[in-house]
Amino acid sequence: MIKGFYSAVSAMVANANRQQVLAHNAANMDTPGFKQVLSSFDEFWKTPVVFPPGNLQNLSAMTYSGMLGLGVENAPEISDFTQGALQLTGNMFDLALEGEGFFRIETEAGERYTRDGRFIRDAEGQLVTVDGNYVLDENGNHITLPNGQILIDQNGQVLSEDNLIAQIGMVIFENPAEELTPDEGNLFEAAAAATGEGSPQVLQGYLEMSNVNPTQLMTQLVEVARTYEAAQKMVQNQDELTGKAISTLGRIG
Amino acid sequence: MTSLFHTLNISKVDMLNRLLDLDVVSNNLANVNTVGYKSNRSNFQELLAANGMKDGIQFASTQALMHQGSFQMTGSSLDWAIEGEGFFAVELPDGRTAYTRDGHFQLDAENNLVNGSGYPLIWQGTLPAGTQNVSVGPNGQVSALTDAGWQEVGTVQLSRFANPTALSSFGQNVFLATDVSGAAQANVPGQNGYGLIRAQALEQSNVDMAQEMTHLMTLQRSFQISTRLFQQTDSMINLAINMRKY
Repeated sequence: MIKGFYSAVSAMVANANRQQVLAHNAANMDTPGFKQVLSSFDEFWKTPVVFPPGNLQNLSAMTYSGMLGLGVENAPEISDFTQGALQLTGNMFDLALEGEGFFRIETEAGERYTRDGRFIRDAEGQLVTVDGNYVLDENGNHITLPNGQILIDQNGQVLSEDNLIAQIGMVIFENPAEELTPDEGNLFEAAAAATGEGSPQVLQGYLEMSNVNPTQLMTQLVEVARTYEAAQKMVQNQDELTGKAISTLGRIG
Repeated sequence: MTSLFHTLNISKVDMLNRLLDLDVVSNNLANVNTVGYKSNRSNFQELLAANGMKDGIQFASTQALMHQGSFQMTGSSLDWAIEGEGFFAVELPDGRTAYTRDGHFQLDAENNLVNGSGYPLIWQGTLPAGTQNVSVGPNGQVSALTDAGWQEVGTVQLSRFANPTALSSFGQNVFLATDVSGAAQANVPGQNGYGLIRAQALEQSNVDMAQEMTHLMTLQRSFQISTRLFQQTDSMINLAINMRKY
């Protein structure tokens, strides 16, 4: 009915969605290995604007006066895979990856990937994540650790009293933003096998923190607030105009 | 399509979780001088519903960080510190066994070795009548001082766990075994990776003051951002409600 009305509303809806993404990022500001979700907008469809031939002009055809945008929609969300800052924890089973790459994690739903290196040795001596999923070695097997001090070197080799126990499984995706989709609990799911070459460096006693940038987040927050407000005003204006048109136009006498 | 009320909820859960984290940090800071105390860490995890709906965070677990605390020499032969892995086993009044790194022992009126909370130490041997003092060797040899001089009266073993980070905190500086920590495995100190016992020393708390304070600061800022988000989402809802002008 009223095109401008709908485009103004579309901006409110898109910004409400963006607010949710920001809240999610803010909540995970201190979640190790968390990759911030980037949200942006795309232009919605356009429609041609045509006027019917008027009575004054002696035209037979509709006049085309250009394309009219119909508002805005949310662009597909992408995860930002830039590296987060490393934090020293001194904990034996806290691992951080330096450089591109992911740990291989076995979940009930299949193999997943993460950069969250908060691992623990469970009661059976197996290396698991804080959610209880198994950390996999290079051949896709669980890693069983003996008691006592465990040393993990930069290549991901797990050593106990100088004996090689296992090699931490790591994979590299050439283009993680396109190849991986987020899954529950800081994990990512891949559509196809990893193709990247090489291996990241493993740092024992460190954690990679979330890559959410608080300053950026706050500016985005202001952006959303003001855009939402402006869109709301536009809706009101459209409503007012329509009201005027109804009450004023067509009045005789 | 998402609802702004859901966004409010994300921020709400976020704030509540930060408060839980604050409890953990406060407890660590309160125990910065508690002998044998192990600092705790809260593990947050991203919460994402199966349909891709973003739900913020959840409190996944708390974890005891078991790295070694520094030693304080006390000169009292009843103060025992563990250097390396392992726990002393003590008996709770209800008969359960609890585990502690707090090696500040005393002799009670019945000639038993008890820890600071009065829980008797579990060890192999008995103290002779008229014991005046007790000491321990690195490998757990317990000796008692009577009028006849020092004599070896038994041994104390250390217990360790496959996953000590999952021990549940009982209070009074003792831990209980859980399914996730695995059962206690007792052994002679100094063997197969078990720690040694040092007499006349106490293990200090392993809380790192600087780390806890920086955590407290980031925690406060995160909380501020969550409240900002909450308020802003609220005013967005307000704008939507008041869209219609009369």
